[in-house]
Amino acid sequence: MPGVSLKGLSRRYGDVAAVDNLSLEVKPGELVALLGPSGCGKTTTLRLVAGFLAPEAGEIWVGDRCLSSPRTVVPPERRRMAMIFQSYALWPHMTVAQNVAYGLRFKRGLAAADRDRRVAEMLRVVQLAGYEARYPGELSGGQQQRVAVARALVVEPEILLLDEPLSNLDANLREEMRFEIRRLHEAFGITTLYVTHDQAEAMVISDRIAVLDRGRVAQVGTADEVFLQPRTRFVAEFIGKTNLVEGVAAASDTVALGSLRLRVGAAGLAPGARVAVSIRPHDIALAPPGTGAPGANVLRGTVQRASFLGDSVDYQVRLADGDVVLRVTAPAATRRRAGEAVNLSIDPAACIALTATEEPG
Amino acid sequence: MSRVLTADVARAGVPRRLAGVDRALPVWAAVILLLVFLMALPLGWLVWMSVGAGGGVSLDHYLAVLHSPALMKALWNTVVLAFWVGLMSVAIGAPLAWLTARTDLPGKGLIRALVLASFVTPPFLGAFAWVMLAGPNAGVLNVLWRDVTGADGPLVNIFTMSGLVFVVTIYTFPYVYIMIANTLALIASDLEEAAAILGAGRFTVARTVTLPMVAPALVSGFILAVLQALALFGSPAILALPAGFHTITTQIWALFQYPPKVEMAAAVSMPLLLATALLLLVQKRLLGRRGYAAVGGKGGQRRPIPLGAWRYPALLGCLAVMACAIFLPYGILAKAAFARAWAQPLTWSNVTLGNFTFTFFEYGATRAAIVNTLELGVATATIGAVLVALLSYITNRRLIVGHQLVAFLAFAPIVIPGVVLAVALFIAYTRPPFVLYGTLAILFIAYLTKEMPVGYAQSDATFRTIPPELEDAGRILGAGRLCILRDVTAPLARSGIIAAWCFIFIGVLRELSASIILFTPTTKVMSVVIFDLKEEGQFGAIAVLGLAMLGLTFATVTLVQRALGRDVLGVRE
Repeated sequence: MPGVSLKGLSRRYGDVAAVDNLSLEVKPGELVALLGPSGCGKTTTLRLVAGFLAPEAGEIWVGDRCLSSPRTVVPPERRRMAMIFQSYALWPHMTVAQNVAYGLRFKRGLAAADRDRRVAEMLRVVQLAGYEARYPGELSGGQQQRVAVARALVVEPEILLLDEPLSNLDANLREEMRFEIRRLHEAFGITTLYVTHDQAEAMVISDRIAVLDRGRVAQVGTADEVFLQPRTRFVAEFIGKTNLVEGVAAASDTVALGSLRLRVGAAGLAPGARVAVSIRPHDIALAPPGTGAPGANVLRGTVQRASFLGDSVDYQVRLADGDVVLRVTAPAATRRRAGEAVNLSIDPAACIALTATEEPG
Repeated sequence: MSRVLTADVARAGVPRRLAGVDRALPVWAAVILLLVFLMALPLGWLVWMSVGAGGGVSLDHYLAVLHSPALMKALWNTVVLAFWVGLMSVAIGAPLAWLTARTDLPGKGLIRALVLASFVTPPFLGAFAWVMLAGPNAGVLNVLWRDVTGADGPLVNIFTMSGLVFVVTIYTFPYVYIMIANTLALIASDLEEAAAILGAGRFTVARTVTLPMVAPALVSGFILAVLQALALFGSPAILALPAGFHTITTQIWALFQYPPKVEMAAAVSMPLLLATALLLLVQKRLLGRRGYAAVGGKGGQRRPIPLGAWRYPALLGCLAVMACAIFLPYGILAKAAFARAWAQPLTWSNVTLGNFTFTFFEYGATRAAIVNTLELGVATATIGAVLVALLSYITNRRLIVGHQLVAFLAFAPIVIPGVVLAVALFIAYTRPPFVLYGTLAILFIAYLTKEMPVGYAQSDATFRTIPPELEDAGRILGAGRLCILRDVTAPLARSGIIAAWCFIFIGVLRELSASIILFTPTTKVMSVVIFDLKEEGQFGAIAVLGLAMLGLTFATVTLVQRALGRDVLGVRE
């Protein structure tokens, strides 16, 4: 089972660089999600890996085979990959069994009986036994999805590519299929690239997440890492809600926001540098005026608006010094009203200084 | 939003993926070369001939046209004819479209079928039929009028400009009908109801909401009708020539009669070519501004508007139009086919099968013409369908650099009226290096060129419905491009390509305007023989051949409807 290695890939459409010097290592058997908003280059990256596009610069390696470079591109049919498309791309004129069996036609030396057995086995795995003779048009969206999965897995590809495979499903089914795909990945262990714009999907399904921003990898890491230790503003804002405050480094672990001082999690800041700090709404605790957790940053403020959300309350709190408004998500047990003075208590470890510089787009 | 963007990105990236499949490149190259030859060579010669005089370049021929009162009169007649046909087609087609698309008119299916029948009826057959119906002396309607009223003069005389406008209109209004009906079918009722709830009356809604949204389709339908009238040869030749006036197409044809004045014909062709190109450009602009007319997508429901007391009067009006276009002409053709004397009542003594035996067994030219027509029809349709399939595949999958140019070239012949194309082909292929005049090959080239836009449009629409992912999905599983063409693309495109075949075949069957200039005694086709028979006054034989032509046409139309599983007019239910 080889891994995939993308080395400095670039690909532009007209003047727009869809993929810009992108590098990424996918380890053997690993599932990496390419996560980003539309237009970030994730689908282009996937199509480059599939061989539908040729890179203008950079190389794609699978194990010890160089599959793509600006000079030569191994055509898709010789890449030993499989792909699941957003639209599923099931052939409407073939039955479920014919769809699934199609890729096996190109496996030399596979007897017809073996082929049928593998198709039947795979349909059982995706819980579609008994649907062999149906046409795709006669299946529900979720069932079509399973056929697409079966068709891709039955050929036992070295690499599996998924292009937003769940985005056409309704919300409940989507959640169910996330676990299903993860289960299949754990069962088959195929090296997988998974394109999505849905961060929850990426977090549930993948081993690691590569957050893409304007054709580049902004950060690669596990779900924990990209959520808890975002390195750029883009990553902090794209993964979950956050408060971003701008300040100037006053010491190696302190950021000055006007007259306020905010101690941040371990970081060797260069005093005097401009720094953005990300604070998740969940990491801010509300305390009565004059109190605050020991060792925490304590800021004074006034509740501007409180929105009851059922299991929590969403507050907008204006800080006493400066015109910064922070979003706070607090348990619904204690309710504060608009206009009430409060203290905000924030663990320094939850204040993430975004140190990585973002190149201007 | 995100899906739209990624789809665009995906499409934009298609060309480079061919990198590994250069084996197919010679095929693509040959196809494109052929395309250039079909058009560039004839049109190049046409332009050259119109400005060439004694070796140098001059505008002598154009000046001669300007100074010839007869030619200027023909140009003017064409303008008058085209304008009135456009106007009348809108006046008939738009209400008919509205009635069948948006109201509770009874018998909508029947009206649609009859409009389709009018659409596929060769206009020159209609013109013949109307000669028999409304000729000033023997025309059945005029005889009836004189019998009933005792009047001396005819009720109507079809051999006039207004007669010509009338006959051309009843076979041209379907173009307007299709445009309007398809647009109306896309306008959701809630757009109109939104205006109604704000206090607009039914008339105000129509004026302020519906009409403005249909306006581009109306103008565009008008232009289509004008284009048809501009390019038409058969009806003017049958109705205008006896009336003693020319249109530009009959004038071009006349310039080809012995001794042929090819240069003049070329010079007269140019304004027709330019006018057509210009009008199409305007139409494209109009339709291109989809923004506000983009009634597209699923939108809300469409509730039929109740006509109330007007239901049956409206139906009667529709049927009256269809009587002029279908019932009366088809009736008189059927009668003439079975009558010894078509103008006499159909009594037992007047019934005969002699017209059939005469047409098929005695009249020399008929059988050869039928064989020629069928041979040309099958050959053109088959080669044409393959060609347009390849072309539209290339343009849809963006397989080569310059695929936009290919699409443009495939559509370009639509600006060339049949007569003009014939002049161009005549000039190009009566001289070395390609001497084809007098062979069926020149007719084949003419038909292939002329029918290509229709076939291409159909084929293009087919490939548009086959998402590239269906092919990509096979590639990544190990199938080469040729495998995918065989296993995925071809089966999915089959019915669309069959439809393209049928459209081309029908086009060839009814083609007259190019054939009339390019035929020679050994290469006559059915439409030309019908035209010859008119000169000889053989109305019975015309009727028989005409019915045969209609029979073939309707059989082919049925085949299309089967293949596509829908109406040929493309009107949504």
